[in-house]
Amino acid sequence: MKLRKIKNNSKGQQEIVGFVLIVVLVVIALMVFLVISVRKGPDEKESVEVENMLGVVLDYTTDCALVFEPEYDTMEDLIKSCYRNKRCENLGEMACDYLEETLQDMMEDLMKTESVINAYEFDVFHRDDRDDSGGGSQRDDSGEPDEILKVEGGECAGVVKGASVLLSVDSGDLVTRLRICKNV
Amino acid sequence: MMNREGGQMKIQQMAFMIVAVFIFFTLVGLFFVSWQSRSIGRNAADLQKQQALSSIEVIRNMPELNCDLTEGLCVDEDKLNVLAAGLSDDYAEFWPVASVKVYKVYPSFETEGSKKCPGLNCNYWEVYDSGQTSSEEFSGYVNICKKMRERGSNYEKCEVGKLLVGVYET
Repeated sequence: MKLRKIKNNSKGQQEIVGFVLIVVLVVIALMVFLVISVRKGPDEKESVEVENMLGVVLDYTTDCALVFEPEYDTMEDLIKSCYRNKRCENLGEMACDYLEETLQDMMEDLMKTESVINAYEFDVFHRDDRDDSGGGSQRDDSGEPDEILKVEGGECAGVVKGASVLLSVDSGDLVTRLRICKNV
Repeated sequence: MMNREGGQMKIQQMAFMIVAVFIFFTLVGLFFVSWQSRSIGRNAADLQKQQALSSIEVIRNMPELNCDLTEGLCVDEDKLNVLAAGLSDDYAEFWPVASVKVYKVYPSFETEGSKKCPGLNCNYWEVYDSGQTSSEEFSGYVNICKKMRERGSNYEKCEVGKLLVGVYET
């Protein structure tokens, strides 16, 4: 009688221990999932809005004329001129310097019109599709894309959205990428 | 008697276990459903934005507004001036939207202030307004281009603007 009671008790304890173990395992799995999803940080999404913004920025007519006025460069041309280390003759300034100033001004103004955008990053890098590399810009020996320009501002919080455009130059492509951070 | 009590205890234990398991899975289910509904909501908002952008594209591709550039999204400043001067009232039934407004973003809108067009150094065009107050506004960026003449040569100067389209609320 006593033996059966002890046996019954230990069986009940085993069940409880089993249940607790399952609960603990599920909780650990949930914790791991939560930690991974929190750690992953903001994902970058391709966005139609940013593509629209980037397209418009690239078609803007700047005040930089490389040869004569009024043969002004668009932003797209200016990026190519910057890659080739050209100079805005009418302004007496290097194309890269003028591009950086203009982009900074423009992005600040664009951000003012969008209350949900808290940060931006505009970068241009060269992607070589040949082994021999021409052009005037310095190259990275590590095989990484060579950064031509990077303009950024604000503190990123929320969702990251981006878009990129390829501009072809004689020795490959210039990847022009715009990324913005939006409050959710 | 002792056996019956033991059986009752076992039934109670099982009942508690079933209730605990049920509550646990309900909580997990609730968590999953809320996570799913959040992502569905986000997708719906993205789709709505895409739809709004495509309707903006329709507006800016209209011959009454667009410019000569074969590529890109641009509106003609001269056409905007004509329409903002009052001609667009004749188009009242033509516009598929509640309002069409365009303003320059760069060079800066903030520092120069809002100056309604047509006018000197203006930067804001009210192309059409049906007067409906309960319309939702969507916006997209456009290039505002104008033909210029300098030192005997013609060229097209494009600035950055924003097109605001008011959509009738259903």
